[in-house]
Amino acid sequence: MSDHNTHHNHEEHEHHEDNFISKYVFSMDHKMIARQFLITGIIMGTIGMLMSLIFRLQLAYPNMTFPFLEGIIGHWGKDGKLDPNFYLALITIHGTIMVFYVLTAGLSGTFSNLLIPLQVGARDMASPFMNMLSYWFFFLSSAVLIISLFVDGGPASAGWTVYPPLSALPKAIPGSGTGMTLWLVAMVLFIASALLGGINYIATVLNMRTMGMKMTRLPLTIWAFLVTAILGLLSFPVLLGGSLLLIFDRSFGTSFYLSEIVAEFAGGIERTGGSPILFQHLFWFLGHPEVYIILLPALGITSEVIATNSRKPIFGYRAMIGSILAIGILSFIVWGHHMFITGMNPFLGSVFMLGTLIIAVPSAVKTFNYLATLWKGNLKLTPAMMFAIGLVSFFISGGLTGIYLGNAALDIELHDTYFVVAHFHLVMGSAAIFGMMSGIYHWYPKLFGRMMNETAGHIHFWLTIISAYCVFFPMHFMGLAGVPRRYYANTAYDQFNVFVDMNEFITIAAILGGVAQLIFLGNFFISIYKGKRAPQNPWNSNTLEWTAPVEHLHGNWPGEIPHVYRWAYDYSKPGAEEDFIPQNIPDAGQTDPMEESTGLPVASHATTSAHAVA
Amino acid sequence: MKILNLLSKITFVIAVLFSFTLSLSAQSVDEGKTLFNANCTACHAINDKVVGPALKDVSKRREEAWLLKWIKNSQAMVKSGDPIAVQVYKENNEGIMTSFEQLSDVQIKSILAYVKAESEAPAAAPVANATADAATATTASNDGDWKSMINWLLFIIVALLVFIITQVFSILSRIGDIQGKPVVNWNQLNSVLLIVFLVVGMGAIVWEFSAHSKHTIFNYGPASAHGAEYDDMFMITLVLTGVVFVITQILLFWYGFKYKSDGKRKALYYPDNHKIELLWTVVPAIVLTVLVIRGLIVWNDMMYPKEQNGRKIEIFAYQFGWNARYAGVDNKLGAHNFREVGVINQLGVDTNDVNAYDDVVTNELHLEVNQPVDLAFRAKDVIHSALMPHFRVQMNVVPGLPTKFSFTPTVTTNEMRTKTGKPTFDYVLLCNKICGSAHYRMKMKVVVDSKEDYKKWMSSQSVLVANKTANKAVALN
Repeated sequence: MSDHNTHHNHEEHEHHEDNFISKYVFSMDHKMIARQFLITGIIMGTIGMLMSLIFRLQLAYPNMTFPFLEGIIGHWGKDGKLDPNFYLALITIHGTIMVFYVLTAGLSGTFSNLLIPLQVGARDMASPFMNMLSYWFFFLSSAVLIISLFVDGGPASAGWTVYPPLSALPKAIPGSGTGMTLWLVAMVLFIASALLGGINYIATVLNMRTMGMKMTRLPLTIWAFLVTAILGLLSFPVLLGGSLLLIFDRSFGTSFYLSEIVAEFAGGIERTGGSPILFQHLFWFLGHPEVYIILLPALGITSEVIATNSRKPIFGYRAMIGSILAIGILSFIVWGHHMFITGMNPFLGSVFMLGTLIIAVPSAVKTFNYLATLWKGNLKLTPAMMFAIGLVSFFISGGLTGIYLGNAALDIELHDTYFVVAHFHLVMGSAAIFGMMSGIYHWYPKLFGRMMNETAGHIHFWLTIISAYCVFFPMHFMGLAGVPRRYYANTAYDQFNVFVDMNEFITIAAILGGVAQLIFLGNFFISIYKGKRAPQNPWNSNTLEWTAPVEHLHGNWPGEIPHVYRWAYDYSKPGAEEDFIPQNIPDAGQTDPMEESTGLPVASHATTSAHAVA
Repeated sequence: MKILNLLSKITFVIAVLFSFTLSLSAQSVDEGKTLFNANCTACHAINDKVVGPALKDVSKRREEAWLLKWIKNSQAMVKSGDPIAVQVYKENNEGIMTSFEQLSDVQIKSILAYVKAESEAPAAAPVANATADAATATTASNDGDWKSMINWLLFIIVALLVFIITQVFSILSRIGDIQGKPVVNWNQLNSVLLIVFLVVGMGAIVWEFSAHSKHTIFNYGPASAHGAEYDDMFMITLVLTGVVFVITQILLFWYGFKYKSDGKRKALYYPDNHKIELLWTVVPAIVLTVLVIRGLIVWNDMMYPKEQNGRKIEIFAYQFGWNARYAGVDNKLGAHNFREVGVINQLGVDTNDVNAYDDVVTNELHLEVNQPVDLAFRAKDVIHSALMPHFRVQMNVVPGLPTKFSFTPTVTTNEMRTKTGKPTFDYVLLCNKICGSAHYRMKMKVVVDSKEDYKKWMSSQSVLVANKTANKAVALN
């Protein structure tokens, strides 16, 4: 192995380029890029959350005016009344930000970047330069999306799924003008970022594992990130193609997605011969794997956090890998369940329904394995662990409603109602956010070398889980009454008047949730400067990242990269002195790292690992 | 042949014009209301800005003559440079108001009279249908104010509590720092809170089912033949997922409580058990197989109904409204041609197709009880979705892509009114695919009539080309 050489090169490297710009701005160090992704994601998440609060106010009080709105959103809130067009813009940008910018880039971007090299034992990503480009494409994309909020006609307003013809024809809706063009540009940049990152993650996991880090010894986080990257690599290009065709339809007069549209409505050229449904197929070919691109990293983080804090091996390690792979593969053949009622052939609907409901099996296996891991554990209920438990709870609640929606027959009534809103906000929104929070609390010492305030973390957890359930659980009942999503107000329908109180309750719960996030934001940013210094291995964890020094080092380990002798989950092994055995500790008599680990470590591993650090 | 074709077109156009102009003539608020609801609500409301501006006190702002001219052809006025017209055009994002050249002066005046009456009506009683309703609405809104205040009071109390708790904890943790050992044992506290959350949460869910189930569509049963099967499927899924939900959530939170670290116990090293894993792979697989098979049966029953040749009705969607077109006596819908969509021929009915002559276009969807219908859906501009919750019916309405849904309504509007105890109950078809600013009010009233009522209603409607046989003969020559 050429660990030594690489290391020397790095030292020389650092002498050359240790200035502010290369260290903090155009950094090629994966740990810095992880921080950049995380902080950008948090800023975008805050914007997305504030947007949701504005439209929640409208939904709770459709007949009231809020003069302060005019101060925030200008003429869109004239006389304190939210403009219906801007309401649609808000829900569109809220969805876009949360799905792509927070839960794809903010979650997978942060933790894949931070953990892949550190947990597989690599000095950095396969291509640090591509990694840097990945962040800066993401940054550009975020900037374009934010700029689109201020253009004439407002930002894109056709829903985050931007179905044409609504998104294709500027005459259809004010937001389908410049705002929509910028949305598409932002999306193209975003996809470039996702692909640059994804290729890197895959290459690093497959090629740059340290001695002894067999695929079957990888922590489940890495398995989740690997499958996530593969999903992204296979599906994002399809959305890129779909977006380009939409750009053609909008700007060059083509008719890929347009049919039977008169010239007057379509910018002077009659459009015919295309199919609006084609776009939905292309969109959801990304869109459904995207759900798992969001969820799998969260589940990977949870596996790691639950095992570490239960002081128990994750139950059914191989079954967990199997279910990650099964979910990954199945996620490519179920996109049609978003389109049961588009008029597609009912037989096709049957096929998509079958695939969709099969996904419930690996998901159930994962849930049961989490429960089995908790069983007879020795639980340390840290904030990270609490968020992980919260994730499992949301995964159950939201996952079960998927069995209704995946059923083509039941979907006829439930499609696009608040039942769907409740479903995906629980299983994909709340669950993934909780996974992200769990990861932040768990790896904050690794990210910033300091500890977050634990008390604030616990309060943050309890307020967030209460508000999330109060916001999303009642929505199931609105959905079952047939209340459609994306309605500016329910005032036009007598039968929806019964939900006036519920809407108000949901809004108040949402504001409570927003307040809770202030606690998090304060804790996060203050701890960067004022938190307690982090110890080497604060959670007594087995994985390799905790053998690297607390202070960030370009190249991760000062000496040789540690070799790996065992899987990541030797917690509370009978006969061992302590309740954890880090992966870099060999067994008694084990010299070759590739040998299967069978027994207990040589000596007290605590001293060994202390040595490794010193 | 060509001349005949032209002739038939002209007849058609005149007939359509006639059917609009003849139907109403006298100036009155009531008729204004009907016209307003049929022509204006897609874009306008009295008190709110929708697509166009709020119309409250419009007669005070503008001259009547100006309004007449504007409503008939606003674009011409903008082009001619009328300063007010240009200003209104610019204020409303340069959106073009549909021209209503088919409306007579008398009709427009009746609409204005209705708008005036509504503008002067007290604000507390919005769209008062019946006086009784208005009264309950008023008390309800007063009630709402109180509830709202209590809710916000609660919110302030909760926020204060949060603040106090945060402060207390921060002081405690400082004391802990000084003493060198934490005062609050979060492991202990969290484990107890997990159980509290579980118990309170489950209680809240039970309460919610008891309080809100009655608002769902399942409360009064389905109003269509396939609906019973749908509801059964739903209930089976509800029971199965409900059982799994309760068991797994209880286990999750209970384990969180029971197995918290006490500093003495060591965790059980238990990495694998193939038998158990096999069990919890196979059991969900079997349960899901049952659900899939049953779901497929219901899905196929709904998609391929046994009754053939139902009454054909086309549902036409546009920003922001619906029309229904009945196939008439021959039960053959006239073809459509999107190029013919215009001010008069709003649905783009193919004027060359003789089958179109006896078609009937309406603003309400009337269905005959126990009579199968084949709905065909067509959209003018963007994708809409026709959701009819009470019938368990929904289908997307896609421009350029015909879709369909067949079903049989089984409960008349009157029967449903008795069932629900609400004398004002009406079925509704609403738009369920984001389509623009007035998406949230894009709806059509649906009425299920008894056989006699349906006949009566249908005979009161006018066909597109009244003298059907004559025209058909002419066209066929």
